[in-house]
Amino acid sequence: MRADGRADGRWKRFVSGFKRVVGMPDYPGYLQHMAERHPGCSVLSEREFFEVQVNARYGNGASRCC
Amino acid sequence: MNRILWVLVSLVGAAAWGVIALNRGETISAAWLVLAAVGTYLVGYRFYSRFLATKVFELDGRATPAERLNNGRDYCPTTRWVLFGHHFAAIAGAGPLVGPVLAAQFGWLPSTIWIVFGVVLGGAVQDFVILFGSMRRNGKSLGQMAKDEIGPVTGLFAMIAILAIMIILLAVLALVVTNALKDSPWGIFSILCTIPIALGMGVWMRIIRPGKTVEATIAGIILLGVALVGGRYVAQSPSLAPLFTHGGLTIAWGLMIYGFIASVLPVWLLLAPRDYLSTFMKIGTIVLLAVGIMIVRPPLQMPALTRFIDGTGPVFAGKLFPFAFITIACGAISGFHALVSSGTTPKMIRRESDARLIGYGGMLTESFVAIMALCAACALDPGIYFSINAPLGALGGTVQSAAEQIRQWGFTVTPEQLTALARSVGEASLLGRVGGAPSLAVGMAHIFSGAFGKNLMGLWYHFAIMFEALFILTTLDAGTRVGRFMLQEFLGHIWAPLGRTSWYPSNLLASGLITAAWGYFLVQGVLDPLGGINSLWPLFGISNQLLAAVALCVGTTLIIKGGKARHAWVTLLPLTWLLAVTLTAGWQKIFAPDPRLGFLAHARSTAARLAASNLDPAMGARLIWNDRLDAALAGIFMVVVVALVIASLREWLAVIRGRKPAVVKETPFVESAYAS
Repeated sequence: MRADGRADGRWKRFVSGFKRVVGMPDYPGYLQHMAERHPGCSVLSEREFFEVQVNARYGNGASRCC
Repeated sequence: MNRILWVLVSLVGAAAWGVIALNRGETISAAWLVLAAVGTYLVGYRFYSRFLATKVFELDGRATPAERLNNGRDYCPTTRWVLFGHHFAAIAGAGPLVGPVLAAQFGWLPSTIWIVFGVVLGGAVQDFVILFGSMRRNGKSLGQMAKDEIGPVTGLFAMIAILAIMIILLAVLALVVTNALKDSPWGIFSILCTIPIALGMGVWMRIIRPGKTVEATIAGIILLGVALVGGRYVAQSPSLAPLFTHGGLTIAWGLMIYGFIASVLPVWLLLAPRDYLSTFMKIGTIVLLAVGIMIVRPPLQMPALTRFIDGTGPVFAGKLFPFAFITIACGAISGFHALVSSGTTPKMIRRESDARLIGYGGMLTESFVAIMALCAACALDPGIYFSINAPLGALGGTVQSAAEQIRQWGFTVTPEQLTALARSVGEASLLGRVGGAPSLAVGMAHIFSGAFGKNLMGLWYHFAIMFEALFILTTLDAGTRVGRFMLQEFLGHIWAPLGRTSWYPSNLLASGLITAAWGYFLVQGVLDPLGGINSLWPLFGISNQLLAAVALCVGTTLIIKGGKARHAWVTLLPLTWLLAVTLTAGWQKIFAPDPRLGFLAHARSTAARLAASNLDPAMGARLIWNDRLDAALAGIFMVVVVALVIASLREWLAVIRGRKPAVVKETPFVESAYAS
């Protein structure tokens, strides 16, 4: 289905965009950020990242609307 | 070329308004409303929001908080269309769906005008100015901005107002769900199923396959579909149906217990998975509704204006002015958005200029949702609409008495039609299901079954109910949590350990208090002979619009202190209108002599009935106490806002007269690395 790298990249971007719209943690996006901005720093595991993100988003009450 | 396009867009919008204005009592298609609205949004976005962005806020090439403080987590530069979707999902809730449905009792014309022009000149401006202010201050909250720019007492007032509004909001939303689910085994079963589904997703995402949110959500959506179909089986089973058939009071207590437990569970277990599900459903259903309306283009059966503009309407009491403008809160202007616009969104904006699409454009989209809800409600036969939305007390308990009462209101519907409708959606009765959600669900089911398959009315109806209940329950959980944190902050000043959010007894106490507070108003609404919506929805509308007034005060202060006093009318105009609307409505809800409208008059008439011993003394005493409580609450809202406006006014005059320097507390300018 995803024969070439470009379609693969597009699919990844779509999933990452979808996650951000719904408010889900975007782990690949985080890994990319760490690789680009803080190379050499230790990164959180996917489980740790999920916990940190979910707590940050909902921990003190999600701001939401009527 | 570009100019020709905009002339064309303007002409189409103007033509649609022409059709709306010139119709002489004939039925017109909902498509004209949609065209008029979209045409106006496009023109408003292209010209007015551009004026705001370039002349008033002067968005420029400076680096946003997301760029400067990028940590790959909450501060994170996000592509503008993705962030637009994220922001829209955060601001859209039950409000823009329910408000227009209730206000449809005045006819579709006043609501349409208010939703469309209110958003272009008011609601979208409010969201945009607060998003702009927060973005220039590293994502500060509305309360913090009020404190920094106007004064510390103002900040405290804003906090108290937000807490009180939150409690009324939760009560009224819980009441909407209660009325939609009472005596409905299909509804109760499918909503109950959402709880284990969400718990399962939570366990999957955290323990079984950590971080795999997408697959868990897809599985959750499929299971929701199974629960929906299973609900029909349960409702038709003579042995299972009674287990899931409950009255209003039982459901109300169930919601309170749910809200309390959900708000003290860890967020990953219930809140996060629920939120993923409801966000996904929300976006999907809204898109589906837009497509459905464009395919079916239903005719608007409701008159443009009904006789109920004189204040005698059965859905809620009060005249067109001011009550149409507070009943429709979220679709035109909503104070709650100021909390979102100063929450997560400003920390994710990639470039300053993106704020225009996200702040102003996001609110236009929300307004479009309100227009669609209005179309769905007004496409119903008015007789059917009033049979669902008028309280049982007015309709009597049978289809015959309801049909007769509706005939006296000037609309025709036969008892057989009412019975057939209830049967077609798999319910025993739809009479007196006040709160807007059921009639919206019937309207949506008409549109969906017209567009995507006939003979599925029941399934579509319960799909719509599930969709509304799902995100209202998410709001109950999240809102109770927000309230808990605010309360703990206050309690911490009294005894420090109570302020510690990591201390479990303190969490239980604060969550219990918040749940008890909204639960009290919920039970009051369930037991109210007038249906509860009549007293609670106006209170919610007033409080939400007053929060909008707070946000616009902060916005005006930002503009004046930014040295743009000559442009301050952009926020002063909607502020003045909101103050006129809400203070009039608040005053009438407290002091109006009509017992259906005024809380105090209702207390007096109840006292008279008590004296004539036409009423159970305990019941009478409770009704009187509730009326006085509601009156006091409306009074407190009004006093808080007047105090805030006066404090802001003093600040504005001090700056304009040069007694205070026109300086804003923005973070310093840093050039952005992103090409514009």
